[in-house]
Amino acid sequence: MNFVIPRIAFRNLSRQKKRSILLGSAIAFGIMIVTLMNGFSGALIQNISENFAYLMAGHVFIQGQERTPSGKKVSVISDDSEIMQALKSSGVQYTQATRTSEISASLIFEGKTVRQTLTGIEMDTNPFLRQRLVLKQGSWASVSQPDALILTEKVAKKLKVQIGDKIIASLQTVTGQNNIADFTLVGISTDTDLATSTMAYVNLGYLNQAIGLKPTEYMSLGLMLDDMRQATPAADKILVALKSQGLQTFPRGATDGSGNQTPFQVLLQNQNEETWNGIKYRVYTIDDLMSSAKNIVTALDTGTFIVLIILFAIIMIGINNTFRMTMYERIKEIGTMRAIGVQRNEVRRLFLFEALFLALGGIVAGLGLGFIVMNLLSLINFGTNSPAFLLLKNGHLSFYLPPLRALLNIGTIVVLTLLAALFPANSAAKLEPAVALRSTK
Amino acid sequence: MGFSMNKRRFIKKSRLTRTSRLAGLTLLVALLALVPLATFAETLPISEANKILKELDMTSNFTDKDFSALFTIVSEKPGEKQTVTQARVFRRDAKKQFTILIMLPEVNKGQGYLTEGDNLWFYDPSSRKFSHSSIKENLQNTKAKNADFKSSSLSDDYSIAAVTDGKLGNFNVWIFDLSAKNNEVPYDKLKLYVRKDKHMILKREDYAVNGRLMRTTLIPKYVELDGKLLASQILIIDEINKGEKSQITMTEQSVDKLPDKVFTKAFLEQVNR
Repeated sequence: MNFVIPRIAFRNLSRQKKRSILLGSAIAFGIMIVTLMNGFSGALIQNISENFAYLMAGHVFIQGQERTPSGKKVSVISDDSEIMQALKSSGVQYTQATRTSEISASLIFEGKTVRQTLTGIEMDTNPFLRQRLVLKQGSWASVSQPDALILTEKVAKKLKVQIGDKIIASLQTVTGQNNIADFTLVGISTDTDLATSTMAYVNLGYLNQAIGLKPTEYMSLGLMLDDMRQATPAADKILVALKSQGLQTFPRGATDGSGNQTPFQVLLQNQNEETWNGIKYRVYTIDDLMSSAKNIVTALDTGTFIVLIILFAIIMIGINNTFRMTMYERIKEIGTMRAIGVQRNEVRRLFLFEALFLALGGIVAGLGLGFIVMNLLSLINFGTNSPAFLLLKNGHLSFYLPPLRALLNIGTIVVLTLLAALFPANSAAKLEPAVALRSTK
Repeated sequence: MGFSMNKRRFIKKSRLTRTSRLAGLTLLVALLALVPLATFAETLPISEANKILKELDMTSNFTDKDFSALFTIVSEKPGEKQTVTQARVFRRDAKKQFTILIMLPEVNKGQGYLTEGDNLWFYDPSSRKFSHSSIKENLQNTKAKNADFKSSSLSDDYSIAAVTDGKLGNFNVWIFDLSAKNNEVPYDKLKLYVRKDKHMILKREDYAVNGRLMRTTLIPKYVELDGKLLASQILIIDEINKGEKSQITMTEQSVDKLPDKVFTKAFLEQVNR
């Protein structure tokens, strides 16, 4: 391969340092912006999914819907022995299975009321809570009492309650009847994040009693996997296994065609329209819940690409003008080269190689700058109490640049830069040696 | 000697006899005193009680006419300013339809509730969207439930567990202990204090599933409209959140025929244009 032209191109760029640096910086700036945007959107879905999985204690969820004789639908899993059998036969490996029931309630204490989601969980045996909560007051030893209640610091302050206080919960049963339950505050946890500040934890059996479920029943089974990315295949396997156990199931993966609803919302809608007897199970993943967030990410990526095109269209004009100027400056040089036997396409290639090296230099600088800025931004601690905590990783911005996305950006810039240089390159190539040598421009 | 012994025995026997007689007399008087009470405590056969319950429904429902009225609800919470909610209610009891249109406060004006089959819809004019609501939910920020504004269906929704005799102020009342027959009602158990002379509910106690008293409703005033008895003043007291209560006043009641569109979603949308 002939490396003479590329070497001459590189030398020409080095000769015009100021111009090359300015042009390269413009390309680098564009690449940096696009890298930051792509990096942010790349990590966004991962962060949201992980944070939600952490909050909901699961990557894959199984819920039961019982249709009562009166036609009412009640969320319940009555007997999970068949589900556990199906899980075993599916071969899905999970690190933790969490049984929960949830209900919205008004917590009342001495005239003060706060609305909270009461999450019933096997507090004394399930490690989920102890991994996620730090008790500022109270003790884990007390959670075994049936009417135990754990509140966050913020809520405890609002209600002005202390450990040992009796708190009334006004709630509705699963069939919608009003009921009252008394709880004893056994723990006050530190405020870890905005979402858990609306959650209060109680014992599953006691909550079930208050909401009209049997002590052994519950609403949802959450499974934590080793790798969140395995959630969808795991859910598919579990669904097949449930069906093979003879259990009624809602289909997975349905969409509404328009993309306006998440698969989970479509699942719920289909369920509302269906009729069945007994309990029917639905299996969904954290991804099914997050698909609307994925739409946002796709929109963000598309927007970023458009920004890239617009930005580089502007840069292209600059590159085009600069190369045109370069061509006029080097007319005599081109004439000399043509006179000593350099062919037209080699002249064209010379200009294109200059553009290529400029683009590559700008890309490398831009990527490098982008990674430095990403690392600096990720050092900022926004705290887990920030409204944007779902988008963050442990209170920090995180970035992930998908390799394919990066390659697409690089390819686009290279193509655009070459296009910008093409017309001046063609003009230079078409110059007649004699005309070029005679030129006084 | 013998005479004095006999005399003593006689005196002792007389005393004993006197004591026994006294005890017996006391017992008799006590029994006689109780009998009138027993004969005054009335009992109500369950069949009669069921009739009264049905009658309570019939006297407040309009089976062949439409009904509309303006309800003003003044709610109080300790430490907070009084709030006023005004709602216009439209009912077509024959088809179990009702529509509620919020008139006050200004910020919620135009919001509405509408039954459509088994569904209760809530309309928000700011988003122009309908969302599912429930008959068991509170109306706006008041102590009244949406169910309080629909036609009465006590006899359909509740069975009578017991009926006792009682008094409420100056009125002799039947105290009905009711248990829910279905899950469509907000409260599992009710206690109704019904005037004996004129079958009207004077007081109602709503109980949670676990038997705790949640809400007390007092109805001090009724108004007669087209042969029906309607509660024109209602006081609802929250027994869990002490100090919180809502007073409901009904005015502008009418049995004029309503256009069919009043019971459609289009009506709520149109009203807000």
